[in-house]
Amino acid sequence: MLHLQLGTLGMASLFLAVALALYATIVGALGASRRDARLQTSARLAALATFLVVATAVAVMEAALITNDFSVQYVAANSRIASPLWVKIATLWAALEGSILLWGFLLTAYTALLAFTAPLSPLRPWALAILSGVQVFFLGVAAFIVNPFHTLANPPLDGPGPNALLQNHWMMAVHPVLMYLGFVGLTVPFAYAMAALITRRPGSEWMVQTRRWALTGWGFLGAAIVAGGWWSYDVLGWGGYWAWDPVENVSFMPWLTATAFIHGVQVQERRRMLKSWNVMLIALTFCLSILGTFLTRSGVISSVHAFASGPVGPAFLAFFVLVTLFAFGLIALRWDQVRDRAELDAVVSREGGFLTANILFLAIAFAVLLGTLFPLLVEAVSGQRVTVGPPFFDQVTLPLWMLVFLLMGIGPLLPWRKAEGASLKRNLLWLAGGFVVAGGLALALGMREIYPTLTVALAGYNLVSLGLLLGQVLVPRLRLSTRGAWSVLWGYAHESRRRVGSMIAHLAIVIIALGIAFSSGYRVDQQVRIDFGKSAAFQGYTLTPVDRFMDRSASRISSGAVVDVSKGGRQVATLRPRINIFGSSQEPVSKPAVMTTFSHDLYLNLDNTIGPTTSYVVLRMVYSPLVSWIWFGGLLFAFGVLMSLMPARRQLAERRLELAGEASGEEHAQA
Amino acid sequence: MRKTAYAVLGVAVLAVAGIMLYKALNNSLVYFVLPNEYARDPQGFAGRRIRLGGLVEPGTVHFNDKTLMLTFTITDSIKSYPVRYQGAPPDLFKANQGVVVEGTFDKGTFVGDQLLIKHSSDYRPPKPGQPIDVNMLKKTLQ
Repeated sequence: MLHLQLGTLGMASLFLAVALALYATIVGALGASRRDARLQTSARLAALATFLVVATAVAVMEAALITNDFSVQYVAANSRIASPLWVKIATLWAALEGSILLWGFLLTAYTALLAFTAPLSPLRPWALAILSGVQVFFLGVAAFIVNPFHTLANPPLDGPGPNALLQNHWMMAVHPVLMYLGFVGLTVPFAYAMAALITRRPGSEWMVQTRRWALTGWGFLGAAIVAGGWWSYDVLGWGGYWAWDPVENVSFMPWLTATAFIHGVQVQERRRMLKSWNVMLIALTFCLSILGTFLTRSGVISSVHAFASGPVGPAFLAFFVLVTLFAFGLIALRWDQVRDRAELDAVVSREGGFLTANILFLAIAFAVLLGTLFPLLVEAVSGQRVTVGPPFFDQVTLPLWMLVFLLMGIGPLLPWRKAEGASLKRNLLWLAGGFVVAGGLALALGMREIYPTLTVALAGYNLVSLGLLLGQVLVPRLRLSTRGAWSVLWGYAHESRRRVGSMIAHLAIVIIALGIAFSSGYRVDQQVRIDFGKSAAFQGYTLTPVDRFMDRSASRISSGAVVDVSKGGRQVATLRPRINIFGSSQEPVSKPAVMTTFSHDLYLNLDNTIGPTTSYVVLRMVYSPLVSWIWFGGLLFAFGVLMSLMPARRQLAERRLELAGEASGEEHAQA
Repeated sequence: MRKTAYAVLGVAVLAVAGIMLYKALNNSLVYFVLPNEYARDPQGFAGRRIRLGGLVEPGTVHFNDKTLMLTFTITDSIKSYPVRYQGAPPDLFKANQGVVVEGTFDKGTFVGDQLLIKHSSDYRPPKPGQPIDVNMLKKTLQ
């Protein structure tokens, strides 16, 4: 009896949620256009109610998953009694239906939070109405197209469990959630930007009010991309982390445009420039996140790891067309107001640097989009199935990345408006010194490949730049202060968290870039066959498979080899690469074993099935220098973003003043 | 004057970028073909990386566990080619399995460096003596 109730309760919640979101959209828009406070309040309450109802639906689904209620279709298709609890909980986002439900849930959570915490402003009612409109789409897809709550008349006794590749790593519980938090977070500034256009308030108000949301969404998306790379590295067994696969690309493109947006915001805040540019960037970011979902979930582009495809393609395509027309139509309609009046004083200035960097980010995003969509184009024209290989993406984006790197060093050192000749020359000299010293060191150490060497040189250049930036602010403070250097640095970090946060994020990018340059440029990859008891040499290590093993737990059977790793006659590690089988209906998946050191990873993947009589192992051995720097850099990046999310009190007060000044300035302009 | 200079510079940058994009795309395109499609135009694919899809012909699989060399014949029932792959066969590799091998042709033998197992619930290998539905096969493999 309970079975029926769970499925029905979930189903009813979803339908009610769609109705509530529709109500919040229509009443919210009416209330906003008529400036009717009662309607606006009603819409805000509806947004809260939507959240509560969708939360109920999610709780019902989790309850069904945890209690193995196989009368619910989604549970029957994706869960399994023997799975550990964390896998059951994470199964909510292991397949398409649940993912859409989770996306909708996070969207309603953000909207409800915004409805009751965002400062009252002329933008808020419209922004909430737009967010509710986006909810109608996601909840509508969840309710009418991929409803996970269908009840099975004859429930099975057990299910197959989620995709084995997902069960194989705990990151499956984290990465998708980070990704959706990113996409949903970036929907908030989009909604405010559209509200600003509708209400003809195209100043910086919408950006200032959503600065934290934008940074949060961007930070989550960045963290999600690094986390996804790590998952791919730790599970897929090829020793790499990024393959320019469509699924990867479509998460990367919105991040690139959001990165451009985050930087463009600075220019608008300081110089009131790039208004139209910023609105277009945030609109593009939102459209790309919808387009990406369409591309990977509709099956139009084949991907190696599209875990969840299904019948949502047409709906997402239609929604993509709709939001693109809406957003860019609105921008065109209000073009007179968002168009820049201020002109760039000089290209060699902070804003010039930001603008150039923005163009580069967009160019990279365009190249990735082209490479991702090109197979569709070729198929439409010639009917032939093609894929665009990684060489395309590397050839096109690497030079652009080098330019981004170049700007990352010089940009923050340039003053606003116009750079003075003398200080510019001095700074450039220092930067060039860093470039030459680091590059020379790399050449002396025998590096010859162009991009890794260039990356090292530019890393040196960027470290010098960060040093100069810190020096600029710390040297005068140190002269005045009686305290020590560390305490002054600490004080500065507290006082201007935004500046320091951005420096940390830039340092993180340098670390990630070095990790990528070395691990892709100097990776050694070799497959070898070793008899048990014999040894093989690899990159200074001696690998000896000493034993076989088999583990059996309720949810999986693993078999593998125990490999002793020694260096210079001393044993340094024991690795256990294995092959896991989750349940009878699942295919075997290998789980590599990794030894991580500061300078490199030793990565072993088992390429043969180990049975009781197997006398040898086939190992894929990968030596990957600096690869762990990427994961560390990802953490540091998240920390930097977190830091700049917490503005100091003084800055808050300043910004309020600035905002007030701008608002009055605009009234003058209109008058 | 300054505006014209910027415009000329912009067009030049765009032109260079366009040429670079075109060359990079052209060099990185990997065609997906079945053996019979390759057989129709071997010259057109000369020196190109392709993804060759088909079924593993029963009785042709040979794996040397000393040298880790896997050889088998890939077929779409119309045309067959020998395949050489340096590496251990994946777990699900077996006769009549749908596979996609990425690599290049070398004197009539396809030398692959990537071997993907393709499985789909839609496609069933034909019973002995029955013909293969080539269109269905292509759809399943890509």
